[in-house]
Amino acid sequence: MTEGTTYDAIVIGSGMTGGWAAKELTEKGLRTLVLEAGRPIVPEEDYVEHVPAWEVRFRGMGDRRRLREDQPIQSTCYACDEWSSKFFVSDKEHPYTTETGKPFRWIRGRQVGGRSIMWGRQSYRWSDLDFEANLRDGIAIDWPIRYADIAPWYDYVEEFVGISGEALGLPQLPDSRFLPPMELNCAEQHVRSAIAKHFAGERVMTIGRCAILTKDHNGRAACHYCGPCERGCITRSYFSAVNATLPAAQKTGRMTLRPYSVVHSLSFDAKTRKATGVRVIDAKTRAALEFHGKVIFLCASALESVRILFNSATPEFSSGLANSSGELGHNLMDHVKSGGASATIPGMEDRVALGRRPNGIYVPRFRNVKSKQSEFLRGYGFQGEGSRDGWERGISETGFGPDFKRAMSRPGPWRFQFWGYGECLPNHANFVELDPQKVDAWGIPVLKIHCAWSENELALRKDMAIAAAEMLAAAGARDIQPYANEEPPGFAIHEMGTARMGKDAKTSVLNSYNQAHDVKNLFITDGGAMASSSCVNPSLTYMALTARACDYAVGQMKKGEI
Amino acid sequence: MMNRREALQLLATAAALQLAPRKMLAAVREARAVLGDSPALRTLNAHQYATVKEMAEMILPRTETPGAADVGASEFIDLILTEWSDEPERTRFMGGLNEVDGRTRAMCGKDFIECSAEQRAELMRDLGLKMVEETDPAQDWQEADSQSGTENHETFYPMLRRLTLTAYYTSEAGATQALHYEIIPERHDPCVQIQGAKVERQ
Repeated sequence: MTEGTTYDAIVIGSGMTGGWAAKELTEKGLRTLVLEAGRPIVPEEDYVEHVPAWEVRFRGMGDRRRLREDQPIQSTCYACDEWSSKFFVSDKEHPYTTETGKPFRWIRGRQVGGRSIMWGRQSYRWSDLDFEANLRDGIAIDWPIRYADIAPWYDYVEEFVGISGEALGLPQLPDSRFLPPMELNCAEQHVRSAIAKHFAGERVMTIGRCAILTKDHNGRAACHYCGPCERGCITRSYFSAVNATLPAAQKTGRMTLRPYSVVHSLSFDAKTRKATGVRVIDAKTRAALEFHGKVIFLCASALESVRILFNSATPEFSSGLANSSGELGHNLMDHVKSGGASATIPGMEDRVALGRRPNGIYVPRFRNVKSKQSEFLRGYGFQGEGSRDGWERGISETGFGPDFKRAMSRPGPWRFQFWGYGECLPNHANFVELDPQKVDAWGIPVLKIHCAWSENELALRKDMAIAAAEMLAAAGARDIQPYANEEPPGFAIHEMGTARMGKDAKTSVLNSYNQAHDVKNLFITDGGAMASSSCVNPSLTYMALTARACDYAVGQMKKGEI
Repeated sequence: MMNRREALQLLATAAALQLAPRKMLAAVREARAVLGDSPALRTLNAHQYATVKEMAEMILPRTETPGAADVGASEFIDLILTEWSDEPERTRFMGGLNEVDGRTRAMCGKDFIECSAEQRAELMRDLGLKMVEETDPAQDWQEADSQSGTENHETFYPMLRRLTLTAYYTSEAGATQALHYEIIPERHDPCVQIQGAKVERQ
């Protein structure tokens, strides 16, 4: 790998979408450089899913003093624990700022594979209920694509990824090409029946649709139900860039993967109207390097990709490269969560679930689907799970001695929890910009984030608590505890919308193929491209859009258009 | 088998780090076994350690499965107090622990560890009642701080219980013998009948 080489393509980021861009572009014959800011990952050394609690120093309670010092933001995420905190960034080295009174939690991973290593794995197709939403509501701008445009690409990526789930035939949540579904446990079967009985035609519960294999698939092994996917998976049973797309790209012999490559900015040739190079700071040597490519894919995440473009400002694009619309960095969305309910389900105490299924249940969106709600636009879906209480319940009990120990060594009552994920409306006033006062550990200006929930998101969250409690009541649950807690945006870790696609170059950054209106050889295929947020988890859609954009880009290159 | 001097050397130096993780673990375990029942305490003194050890064993005694003392619960508590707790937590814990002897002396004229089993049990019941009175009903165990999250105002006895149960059920003996935990279950059986004392696969 030399600076002098001009690659056919440069992919910035090696995570969920960078891995797909690397795979697609190399398989289509392009010599591709993949730049990753963080370290390499060696599964045999870095994956720790089978290290039991008794082999870690604080038994899973985390190295709290170090976390408080170095990862105070990251460690608010459940997955940033004693095993997996190494997959999350140091907050000290990777600062960002927020507007006073508007906190935002930015959870990040910088390593080969990015956040695809510790992602939540829930995988759902979007529908025309989502793609038509902005047009229908007269909000922001219309999507330039519809479900029919992306459906074949969902098929394509699902065939490679392997999504387990149950087909329901719902218009608002199209079925994927499924591997066999995982199974509902006793409490979940009970709640599912109650919902079918009391909310027939409106609500339905199904097993979560997830990127975890239920049978061997494309050289990767079926799940062995050890539980903590966020610590890695030596059998490659869940999808990640490290487990699936990057090895496929490597196999072509056309990928050059360069870790420790912190991208500072892109260079732009005002005559050819093309991005010509990528300026990199070597994370270890601090050397400034520049790499050249014919086409550039920004796959660094909705916020990082925008930061790179802001740092790439030119006299012509003084507010950020490819930002003639002025929309770059705006319309930041996340999913609103922290609304739902939990309860105990009486009975079935002679039954347990064995094995740790790394997946829960899903209740597809039911608000504003068939009927219209007056209180809010759009809707939410519920994730959740049934499980038996563990020994932790004994902490707040007063018992001690042999009988107490025997009781705590047995499973406690069945508990059921619903937690909602709600759609966030695109809003120009939610935006990011460069903070002129602050740089990161590599001297690169950081982002200042301005983002707050609107009344609509807060109304959705409130409704989550009510609807979840209704379903638990219908299931005969006890001690129902509805909740709608304050939580800043960012924490669903579904940030998107900052370089939205659209039909009109005056109001959007990207066209319908994720290509920058202003810079034809520049594509952004991470969450930045989204014109609305749906209420379902977005990664599957990012993957499908990335594969589609790669196909388009290579076609355009062949035609000499790029 | 290593001798005591070799064991101390192994634990004190970085020699263990050069071994592969599995071998290192085995070597460190062997070193600890050689050194026997004299842990290098860093926060608790010998008397405090004996009190904590006795209370932890009363909560989770040795039965048909190992107990809290067998898995080193009080050593874990010393580690947490030394390397994990913040100053206010440690102060609350040590303060509450030091009150224990005051209470038993008022009750039976002796330190906790010298009291009869029935007197010790009475003290434990008192501490339990006090814990319930102090409990904020809005904050159940699920919300309690385990990593770096919200401020934790637990007093001595609930802290002791949390750390004892954690030490026991996350130990190899507690996890595998009391909970029948398997690292690799291989399958998911969603709704299985429990048979007798043990959970059996169908």
